Amino acid sequence: MSEYLLDMRGIVKDFNGVKALDGIDLKVRPGEVVGLCGENGAGKSTLMKVLSAVYPYGTWQGQIFWEGKELKAHTIRQTEEAGIVIIHQELMLVPQLSVAENIFMGNEIRLPGGLMNYSAMYKRAEELMAELKMPDVNVALPVYHYGGGHQQLIEIAKALNKRAKLLILDEPTSSLTKAETEILLDIIRDLKRKGVACVMISHKLDEIAAVCDTISVIRDGAHVGTRPMSGMDTNEIITMMVGREIKNLFPREEHPIGEVFFEARNVTCLDVNNPRRKRVDNISFTLRKGEILGVAGLVGAGRTELAMAIFGCYPGQYDAELWLDGKQISVDSPRSAVMQGICLVPEDRKRHGIVPLQGVGANITMAVLKDYARYGVINSEKELHQIEKSIARMRIKTASPDLPIRGLSGGNQQKAVLSKMLLPNPKVLILDEPTRGVDVGAKYEIYKLMFELVKQGLSIIMISSELPEVLGISDRVLVIGEGQLRGDFINEGLTQEQVLTAALGQSSELAA
Amino acid sequence: MAIGTHNLKRFFSQYKILALLFAIAVIWLFFGQLTDGAFLTPRNFSNLLRQMAITGMLASGMVFIIISGEIDLSVGASLGLLGGIAAIMDYTYHFPVPVTIVTVIVLGVGIGLFNGYWVAYLRVPSFIVSLAGFLAFRGLLLGLTKGTTVPLESPALVMIGQAYLPTMFGNLLGLGLFALMAVLTFRTRSGRAQHGLAVSPLWQDAVKLVVIGAVIVGFVYTLNLYEGIPVPVLVTLIILGIFSFLAKQTVFGRRIYSVGSNLEATRLSGVNVRMVKMLVFGLMGLMCAFAGLTTTARLAAGSPSAGTLGELDAIASCFIGGASSRGGVGTVYGALIGALIMASLDNGMSMIGVESFWQMIVKGAILLLAVWIDVISGAGSER
Repeated sequence: MSEYLLDMRGIVKDFNGVKALDGIDLKVRPGEVVGLCGENGAGKSTLMKVLSAVYPYGTWQGQIFWEGKELKAHTIRQTEEAGIVIIHQELMLVPQLSVAENIFMGNEIRLPGGLMNYSAMYKRAEELMAELKMPDVNVALPVYHYGGGHQQLIEIAKALNKRAKLLILDEPTSSLTKAETEILLDIIRDLKRKGVACVMISHKLDEIAAVCDTISVIRDGAHVGTRPMSGMDTNEIITMMVGREIKNLFPREEHPIGEVFFEARNVTCLDVNNPRRKRVDNISFTLRKGEILGVAGLVGAGRTELAMAIFGCYPGQYDAELWLDGKQISVDSPRSAVMQGICLVPEDRKRHGIVPLQGVGANITMAVLKDYARYGVINSEKELHQIEKSIARMRIKTASPDLPIRGLSGGNQQKAVLSKMLLPNPKVLILDEPTRGVDVGAKYEIYKLMFELVKQGLSIIMISSELPEVLGISDRVLVIGEGQLRGDFINEGLTQEQVLTAALGQSSELAA
Repeated sequence: MAIGTHNLKRFFSQYKILALLFAIAVIWLFFGQLTDGAFLTPRNFSNLLRQMAITGMLASGMVFIIISGEIDLSVGASLGLLGGIAAIMDYTYHFPVPVTIVTVIVLGVGIGLFNGYWVAYLRVPSFIVSLAGFLAFRGLLLGLTKGTTVPLESPALVMIGQAYLPTMFGNLLGLGLFALMAVLTFRTRSGRAQHGLAVSPLWQDAVKLVVIGAVIVGFVYTLNLYEGIPVPVLVTLIILGIFSFLAKQTVFGRRIYSVGSNLEATRLSGVNVRMVKMLVFGLMGLMCAFAGLTTTARLAAGSPSAGTLGELDAIASCFIGGASSRGGVGTVYGALIGALIMASLDNGMSMIGVESFWQMIVKGAILLLAVWIDVISGAGSER
């Protein structure tokens, strides 16, 4: 038997002649945690799809050895039976079913006659929860009772129940709070001690550094290098990933800040399903001309809901008094928000940002299409001219503006969505997690653009779960916790600890 | 198996339109063979197109409904209702023909907008709204006609369904159409060049124009060998032209596709998505009015059973013509080619004496096959 649990050799995968993977090797020893890094579009997800037989044996070249034997799996089921379980970035839980039912989905414990053996399943589920240090979870309750952090752990319980020997975690912490992330990392360490190996795909290099033994970097479908984690620092990893050194992750630029320009007063949002619960509880804040206002807080604190209320798209009942340039405005739909100069780049790009089947160009001009039309007839040349200008300005990488946008990488999609929301010439731009799932290079370009925009007098509200980003970019930081405004800080010498303390609701009166 | 479906998939996604034309050629040759050429005469060609025209009108409206991610099961019933109203206005109340036509069109658009309002603003699923219409409109028609057939009185109204364009006029029309296509092609070229954009090679556009010219000549010549271009066919072709333009070149057309592909993203871009949906149903209503008038004129009577199952033919045509059951994808010409395939099957099977129950089974099988092809070749199957 070889020393490796998994040994992928020379994996090549092409899509209609375009090589997504070009001879990649990946080796994992039993009980080892390997960090897999690379910019978006580097081929990480494709590699994992090859491994888990989403792309069945025969649709790619190369060899996979699993516990010393060649693995030729045609279905996901076969790889799961071998002990390879993938946990996707978007969780695959059924919210209406109970925790136990989710854990056992597809391998239910049955009584004779096909009935579900609930008592056995609950017992096993409770054991798993205890193993994952979540003994307080009621396994009979529907999954929607629990937050993102718990759900991630429930996914892991599901994987453990399948007797996984290798867990693949795709961006496991992208929607977790700091505390939840810590718990998850602890559990990964714990699993390591029990001999379960892990491949962790993440953009968050500090987490990779905290938990991984080995780091493997790929770039443009090629293997750049595999090194032991000890002795690497994040700058080195970034250099390997992008092939160049980005010295300053946050290209902060000085820019003048004007008078108060936009004001939201008494914003309150009621929960859609439970109107007694306030998702946003009477928040008021101001925004100056040319200011970047960071909005920090834990996931689920009500930041996105606040943005939705301002943009007129909160699905439940809500109240908001908005003032723009000294006048009170009423916003009852995204349409009226856009017309009055407020634009939103939503958090969930796939669901709310892009129209997947339409071209990159059509996506970019969507909000202002009428400006390129007379009597409802589009002037294609005029439109195309603007599209090419936007594509050039944002450096969106696409072979043609007619190409459906879903074929682009996350970073390029995000740039297209940003261009779309810039064309109406907004006065206030709300960016909800503008760099989520975006690679390092594109992130940098987005920050540059934000500074360019505020210099032109635009005001930006940036919601972000990444504290370094909030502190690196913002002029002022609002901290939201449990639907309430917990702090309003000028970003001078502000530290992550201060913001976190405020978000957690402690000593917010110490706020500057 | 895996490789087989993969190749099939690639073939169909790249050459969908060629595959459809190929299917038509096969069907025509097949029936031509079995009928000793009777199927392929100019007379039958003219018949075939007239048969296809009504389904084609409905399919032209339906394709937008399907692209926007909805469905309309009520179109057969509203076709019947509108045709019945036309007959009653003409025969019972002796309204002048223009008044009848305008009233029916206004009513048709009204019915469509009414359906659309329920779907877009009151948020009842379109399947349910149109199922309700399917029952209610047919019921209304039976009530109005008391279950009897109402004959037409005005010859002018009958002409809508039965007249032919004079040969000379047909030739001029063909010539005009070709000139228009040529002008449009060169305008696009010069427009793109002016903005410094890539222009396709001249020979490519030239070949395209030659093919278009050949199709127009063949079409007009064949129909002129019989009686000329039938009026309903002309109307359908005009609808094809206008709707294709609407789909490609107008704000409204672009909106329909984007609503169907991702409603939420479209709404969050500041588009009034409800209005778009309602108007799509309004357009469908307009097509029901055209189809209703044509049906009544063709039969020279308003029949209480007119348009029965018309919605299913229209829906099937759209799917055969490449519209996606997931929304966001489809073309008007595709829907019309779908309608032509359905009409060819109907016409051919009737000519060789296939019993009508077989015809229904064959059409059902074709619909299933068409959507299956969409599913395996289509967008999103890799996700």
